Amino acid sequence: MKKNYMIITNNPLVPRKLNDEYTVAYMDISYEDVLKEVRNRIHEGHRLLSHPLSGSVKPNETPYKSVMITERREAVDEESLMIIENAIQACRKFVFKSDKYKPEVYEDFQIIDWTLLESAVASADAW
Amino acid sequence: MRLEMGHIYIKDIQFAAESKIEDGILYVSEEAVKAVALEDEKIKSVSFDIAKPGESVRITPVKDVIEPRVKVEGRGGIFPGVIAKVDTVGEGKTYALKGMAVVTAGKIVGFQEGIIDMTGPGADYTPFSKTLNLVMVCEPVDGIKPHDYEKAVRFAGFRVAVYLGELARELTPDETKVYETCTIKEGMEKYPDLPRVAYVQMLQSQGLLHDTYVYGVDAKKIVPTILSPTEVMDGAIVSGNCVSACDKNPTYVHLNNPVVHDMFEQHGKTINFVCQIITNENVYLADKQRSSDWTAKLCKMLDLDGVIVSQEGFGNPDTDLIMNCKKIEAEGVKTVIITDEYAGRDGKSQSLADSDPAADAVVTGGNANQVIILPKLDKVIGTLDYVTKIAGASEETLREDGSLEVELQVLTGATNETGFNKLSAR
Repeated sequence: MKKNYMIITNNPLVPRKLNDEYTVAYMDISYEDVLKEVRNRIHEGHRLLSHPLSGSVKPNETPYKSVMITERREAVDEESLMIIENAIQACRKFVFKSDKYKPEVYEDFQIIDWTLLESAVASADAW
Repeated sequence: MRLEMGHIYIKDIQFAAESKIEDGILYVSEEAVKAVALEDEKIKSVSFDIAKPGESVRITPVKDVIEPRVKVEGRGGIFPGVIAKVDTVGEGKTYALKGMAVVTAGKIVGFQEGIIDMTGPGADYTPFSKTLNLVMVCEPVDGIKPHDYEKAVRFAGFRVAVYLGELARELTPDETKVYETCTIKEGMEKYPDLPRVAYVQMLQSQGLLHDTYVYGVDAKKIVPTILSPTEVMDGAIVSGNCVSACDKNPTYVHLNNPVVHDMFEQHGKTINFVCQIITNENVYLADKQRSSDWTAKLCKMLDLDGVIVSQEGFGNPDTDLIMNCKKIEAEGVKTVIITDEYAGRDGKSQSLADSDPAADAVVTGGNANQVIILPKLDKVIGTLDYVTKIAGASEETLREDGSLEVELQVLTGATNETGFNKLSAR
């Protein structure tokens, strides 16, 4: 059965890890653009389920971000909106260097982003 | 609960044929500690080194810092549920080797944490430049998964620390301190006029290299609960995190948590230190709501007048911090929060990713984005290969003259949010 949430991500590992019970919107876009994509969807009535600033690898340092939102659309959720706006703001105070690592490091960034999402999936699937 | 902490001051560490502590000198048999580390077949090799304060040595990538301790009287053993069997700790007698630490290092992921400089400007920012450090660099077997490697290094560090702690079992401490907590009723009767204050400690709990363990339980899976603050002195809480090393609590900080120690200092004088409440910092927003609801509920049920809340990390935990603060204040309990700041390199950006008018008493550990130049040092324990990939660093970090231009984020403990750091406005 399909889960009642969806994942917005630019991490190519995520669609490989999750089977077709999960709705994954994978996009080849920047970290900040993932947050903006999530913001757009919140305006459409989806609600945030995982924190957009998960993880201590900072925005603009890791290129990858996965965020979980509700599948259903309801009235715009103010709290979700506030969290995503603050996250987009926070992005901008970090010097951009996501493109300055050696190739093998990207795989590790993908693993870390996946484990952060995985912990949210575990909580969501406990219901 | 009553815990007697015996301090054994270590003045020097030397490699020797036999491990022992004599006249304040820790002699370490390299062969013996190697055997302890290699008990886990996931570790292919391990090398030990000694770094002393003032030496031109850089240790990186640091995973954890651990103070060796031994339980000599009372229930349980050090690191219950991890190394010792599960049993409630925090009473009886424990000895600690003061002035030294076991530092674990090893490349787990390609962007790795943190740096300890034993001299120079970096040394002013990390508290572990002042300890005699026995550093162990662990290499894993080929093809190991990051999860397994992280766990292997984490446990190897604890095993070595416990092995060294055991050397002190029959010694007489140089100094003894007694920490005693009351039951709820005893405290109310003994200190009727003192404000009832607790310590709310938020534990990093998000995923690989972002985890903390309580009596061996992954902190993601706990609901907020109450500890006697003496339990942490026996290793009830251990670290499994090191990403953005400036504001993560190594196990050493859990064992020596300055909030706990300072509150004990005031216990029975200006406050009644009721208990320690631990909570987590999960990624899933409903978990945040549950944990902050419960934390506030516990504060209310304990009839507290005030709490000190310490955060661990940045970003996602800012939301937990503000939720805790807001909900606890709404129960009529005063809060002081301890955080650090990501205010941009120029310090002009908003420091936290969340805020609320209820958070009107804030202590900061410093700005983690602050830029610092670390000069080239003579010796590196570990490897500089990863320095370019730690949080706050990039491929441009390593400059031509061998110096590093980094943000404070990379230095282990630089902006610690329990106050276990060197930054001060004094």
